[in-house]
Amino acid sequence: MDILTWGHSPWGERILAHISWNLFWASLFAGIVFFVAHASYMVLSAHRKRSAAETDALEIEHRDLPPQIVRHSLAARLFHWVMAGAMFVLLFTAFLPVAGIKFPWVTWHWMAGLVLAGSILFHIIHASVWLDFWSIWVGPKDIPEFRAEILRELGHDVPGPKPGKYPLGNRLYHMAIVLAGLAVVISGITMMVRVRTPFFTRNPYLLRDTTWGLVYVTHGLAGVALVGLVIAHVYFAVRPEKWWITKSMLLGWITRRQYLEHHDPHRWAVESIAAKAEAQRSGQ
Amino acid sequence: MADKADNKLIGKNYTPPDHIAKVTGKAKWAEDFRADGMLFCKLLLSPMPHARVRKIDLRAALAMPGVKAILTADDLPKLDGPGAERALTNEPLYQGEPVLAVAAVDELTAAEAIERIDIDWEPLPFVVDPLESLRPNGPSARLEGNVWAPPAPRPAGATGAPPQPEIKTLKWTAEDFVEEAAGRLPMGKVLEEWSYGDLDAGFKEAALVLDETFVVNGSHHQTMESRSAMAYWQNGKLHIYCSTQSVVRTADNLSQWLGIPASDIVLVSEYTGGGFGSKGGGPISMTIPAVLSKKVNAPVMMRISREEEHYIGRVRTNMTGRVKIGFRKDGRITAMDLFIVQDNGSYGRWNDYAGAGNAASLMYQPLAMRWRGVSVFTNTFPKMQQRSPGPMQGNGIVEPVLTKAAKQLGLDQIEIHKINAPAGKAPFGPAVGPGGPNGKRPYVTSAFVKEALDRGAERFKWAERKAQAGQRRGSKVRGVGVAVGPHGSGSIGYDGIVTIRPDGKLYVQSGVGNLGTHSMVDLARVAADILAMPWERVEVIWGDTGKFLPWSCLSVGSQTTHAMTRANHAAAMDAKRKLLEIAAKDLGGSPDEYELGNARVYQRGNPGRGLSYAQAGARAIALGGKYDGHELPEDIHDFTKRSAKELAGLGLMGVAKDNYPRDGATWSFVAGFAEVEVDVETGKTTVIDYLAVGDVGTVINPRSLGGQLHGGSCLGIGHALFQKMVYDQHYGMPLAKRFHYNKPLTILDIPPTLDWDAVNLPDPETPVGARGTGEPPVGAGYCAVMNAIADAVGVDVFRRGPVTPDVILMSLEHGRRMHEPLKAHV
Amino acid sequence: MAVIHDVMPSFGLYQPASVADALNLLDRHGRDAWILAGGLDSFDWLKDRIKRPKAVVDLSGISELQGIRESGDGLEIGAMTTLTEVVRHPAVRERYSLLLEAAEHAASPQIRNQGTIGGNVSQDTRCWYYRTGWFCYRAGGNICYADTPTAMNREHAILGADRCVAVNPSDTAPALIALDASMVVRSKSGERVVPAEEYFIGPGTDITRMTILQPGDLLTAIRIPGTWGGARFYFEKVRDRNVWDFALVSVASAMSDNGETIERVRIAVNGVAARPLRLRAVEDAVRGKARSEETAKLAGDLAIQGALPLQHNAYKVPLMRNLVKRAIRGAEGA
Repeated sequence: MDILTWGHSPWGERILAHISWNLFWASLFAGIVFFVAHASYMVLSAHRKRSAAETDALEIEHRDLPPQIVRHSLAARLFHWVMAGAMFVLLFTAFLPVAGIKFPWVTWHWMAGLVLAGSILFHIIHASVWLDFWSIWVGPKDIPEFRAEILRELGHDVPGPKPGKYPLGNRLYHMAIVLAGLAVVISGITMMVRVRTPFFTRNPYLLRDTTWGLVYVTHGLAGVALVGLVIAHVYFAVRPEKWWITKSMLLGWITRRQYLEHHDPHRWAVESIAAKAEAQRSGQ
Repeated sequence: MADKADNKLIGKNYTPPDHIAKVTGKAKWAEDFRADGMLFCKLLLSPMPHARVRKIDLRAALAMPGVKAILTADDLPKLDGPGAERALTNEPLYQGEPVLAVAAVDELTAAEAIERIDIDWEPLPFVVDPLESLRPNGPSARLEGNVWAPPAPRPAGATGAPPQPEIKTLKWTAEDFVEEAAGRLPMGKVLEEWSYGDLDAGFKEAALVLDETFVVNGSHHQTMESRSAMAYWQNGKLHIYCSTQSVVRTADNLSQWLGIPASDIVLVSEYTGGGFGSKGGGPISMTIPAVLSKKVNAPVMMRISREEEHYIGRVRTNMTGRVKIGFRKDGRITAMDLFIVQDNGSYGRWNDYAGAGNAASLMYQPLAMRWRGVSVFTNTFPKMQQRSPGPMQGNGIVEPVLTKAAKQLGLDQIEIHKINAPAGKAPFGPAVGPGGPNGKRPYVTSAFVKEALDRGAERFKWAERKAQAGQRRGSKVRGVGVAVGPHGSGSIGYDGIVTIRPDGKLYVQSGVGNLGTHSMVDLARVAADILAMPWERVEVIWGDTGKFLPWSCLSVGSQTTHAMTRANHAAAMDAKRKLLEIAAKDLGGSPDEYELGNARVYQRGNPGRGLSYAQAGARAIALGGKYDGHELPEDIHDFTKRSAKELAGLGLMGVAKDNYPRDGATWSFVAGFAEVEVDVETGKTTVIDYLAVGDVGTVINPRSLGGQLHGGSCLGIGHALFQKMVYDQHYGMPLAKRFHYNKPLTILDIPPTLDWDAVNLPDPETPVGARGTGEPPVGAGYCAVMNAIADAVGVDVFRRGPVTPDVILMSLEHGRRMHEPLKAHV
Repeated sequence: MAVIHDVMPSFGLYQPASVADALNLLDRHGRDAWILAGGLDSFDWLKDRIKRPKAVVDLSGISELQGIRESGDGLEIGAMTTLTEVVRHPAVRERYSLLLEAAEHAASPQIRNQGTIGGNVSQDTRCWYYRTGWFCYRAGGNICYADTPTAMNREHAILGADRCVAVNPSDTAPALIALDASMVVRSKSGERVVPAEEYFIGPGTDITRMTILQPGDLLTAIRIPGTWGGARFYFEKVRDRNVWDFALVSVASAMSDNGETIERVRIAVNGVAARPLRLRAVEDAVRGKARSEETAKLAGDLAIQGALPLQHNAYKVPLMRNLVKRAIRGAEGA
């Protein structure tokens, strides 16, 4: 299978053109295989159910917490859905023509790309200023959680860290999206110089032929990676046991019980009703 | 001066002897020749505008069945001189330059072999626009530099070879380029200039001073026959079948390119499908089959495709010129300051820019003039002289200014041309020769430009048409234009050989090329007239150096008719003297008691008492010595001597060098008159009518003269309307490589009434009275049409050629010029 | 490896005698097949060794693709009918002189003797970057060399460009659109009849093709309905040279009026975009209006809305405007 498509410069030199579209099919295939395999595993395996008693105890302990715990602010949700919309437009405009469904896609693609870029920019600022920037990040300190999660996934009943605000899987996925997303956005914005938009004077000669080849390959690799990532993401979003997370992305909150069941209150501290009232009082 | 011939043939139409072969397809062109075991070769062309070969991998190609040999630059003899071009190179200077040649059993194999050759290239700096090369940090087209510098002055008392021109690096300053913003040609430092008269005083005296920049387009020569050639070696001699403008002189050039004596070359070129200057002394590419056939020890045919012809087939130099001209109220030019940046292309040293200066000084006779110029190398197709090299471009730069001045001064275009026209022994250029800058300026042998203008004005009904010009009918508006194209038109000092043989026929050896002008036959008409020979009994021998031809002029620069009618006049006069002497010897009395008539030499007034030419030819052989060519004149060229020795003993031989005196340089002139109709809604120009009137001396062959005037006019009209070269500046690559991209004129672009005339006044400085005519109609056609467009839609609508619909439409739409003001190859 | 643009490479030559055979061959060879009609576009590509098909399917032996037949109240023109035959056909001359004029403006007499109407509408663009063999969008790459700050693009598109700025070179295409012709396209899976207007596609839709023809498809005929027979026609092609030149801009229109107002009109232009453009907005605007200078001006101004010129082709904007104006004025007003 070819991974890259080569072309030639007007001088006959071999230059990188872009990735081979085989990679799109490969990514699509990988995404589908993953979700089929994972779904089968979930159906066939004796998946660990969390003990209700454990959660009951926690609920008594944290009685002063509000019944609805805000998980995603309105701004964060708007960002997520705008980004999701843009991502779908981008993927469909990019890959439907590859799949043989021909239509004028370029303008839709770069416009959606700008929306994506804008929303990412917003998200970065929002996350750094208003959100706990590091809560989504992955680091060495997550290794014990990773171990525990894997073991739990395999049906072992292990103690050990529970996730903070974002489960590890969630955060790993976010990491992958950050990498692919930034690569695709930065290369994509660069590529906008190659087409006619109201923003730049079209100048395909801004970079050298070989550099452009790398930009195209980066965009292509990130793009096909996103195909797989998005399939995985959608798959998890619609899985019954993850539905409470998906719902929170729509409504913004989760129940106190869900909070206590899935999160480590030390790693994601939520203000109690009393503390909140106190804060309001002292703020006056 | 010599005897005035009784002209029975000169001035009359006739059918040249090569016509039937041409129209029946029997004529053999270079690629029609075959030889046993003949291989074909194909060329690998440079993919880059400037690069150096690091490594060539030929293994895969040589391993192919049917591939016989590969020729690279390393196999070719070295050539002297700075920047000399060879047929193959390891450092290509333009995209499309031949790098190597593959000989194989057929062309398909050769082409497939080329696709298996891997070359590792090192790209080098390149430039395709001369002005870009002159910028402060602009790229240079060659590693040695970017401009030609004239030869250093020779120190007094120096001996040895005279100093050669050199390739140097010249860059202008950012300040020089300030002018560019206003669309005017920057005028930085140049390495060549001359002047005469008081320029400042001239401008001061002027009632109107104009300063304008004009871009003259270059264009391919685009000969119908590409420069194919076939060669083989036999008994140590090279036999080569090629397409060239000259025959004898091509063998001479080839001997230098190959480093073998000319006597070891048998060169055949019986018919040539056009040259227009691009095959003047033969194309250097013919050395490829010559050397390859030696290397592979088999005949090799190199067929040049149309694509390859566009690369190696040569191009007119394009120029950007700026001229400041002062006019008196009556239109007389008091001062002219001409500045030219010439695109020299990748090879050669082309003097078109100097020719443009000389021609401007002759054509417009400015009272004071300065010329400055610089010839800049670019990584574009090699240039070469193209039909009126220099004067045509000079016309292009000056004429728009003349037309604008006429409008502003309220003068008629013809009047402003007449008041500035050269007459008689008109001077041109700077003073040269022993007097140095204070010496005498050179002058022409004769000029009858005013006569040509008057004759044309009447025939063209100029006044009537002018009255209609400028009136809009619907979306159409008409305009009239006139211009005069000058060109040098004759050299001297060549040899002629004629023989009268016992079969009673006159054989004329013609060493010039057969490029369709008929001059290679016309020269025999002069000899036949002098010898009173009926045309049916004249055989012209041409097209094969194996047939013993005399030293002749290059068939370039409109010189052939002038140079070779003189040489054959001399040879015929020599034959005539010998006929009279033989008659006197045999029949008594002195030679001057005899005369020639109807292929006989006889006692004056008594045709019965004499010898037939058959008898005279036989007697010459019997007498031997000088009569049949066994004794030859001292002053003829060695080449002629060799040929004459081979012909000795075949009959009575007239052989002589043209030693006739000449006072002045020979130039011809053609006045062009054009009427155009411009559609202001589309910008499209239609040439309604065109007339060319030649001041070309005595008319030798009217029909052929008409053909030359028409053909040259058409080339100029094509340049005015749409013919061009286009380069992509980013990659330095040519784009207009198909006829439908570079647009030579078509038959439907010329008016059905295309007309010609000639003043038919003999030049006083040549015995036959004839001057050459191939070139001057080009500049006339170019500028008469452009002047007519300006007359129709405005004198400021364009400042570059060709004047295509986009140029006109955009200018009219915006009320000012919108085209690229300076960029070359657009 | 070195490149040589000379000597036709080897390929398999197939000369079917029927459409069915041709379709079988096209189906069998898929993307490796090349349809050869008159050869005027094909041989350029083949001799330049830029396109390297494995199987060339020569249609010249298929008699059912040749000739002009009456069909209903209109005409059916076989795709392999030469342009000269189109020009000389009495029915074309009498009722569809628009097509005659368009066909007669194509190339040169020799080319019209050899070139077919099917080839004329299906030919590839003449963009000189693309035809030189540069690896541009249209050739499968990801750059348009004709739309860069230094590009030479006098002949390129002012409308409908999408990365690629090439234009459609066909002279008969706008005339067929104006005549509401339809294209009969056959493949192994059956026959489709598509309006001429939809036969051509822009780079947005498919940047490597000029028409809807996919591998396996064959244009077999062009049908012209009786609707526009004998209507008021206008055709004009502006080119540099008077013969053997592609259009800078061309216009074709069919119109019927009651002497006063325009009742029905179809108008198309070519040379301005990658596909011949039908000017629906102009048609809608002038329908019901008097055939006056005012209407002509309205039409011209409307036609060029949205035009985006490149470095060297801004002249096409006024040129297209003026040609549309003239189409409304009619032949007598030019």
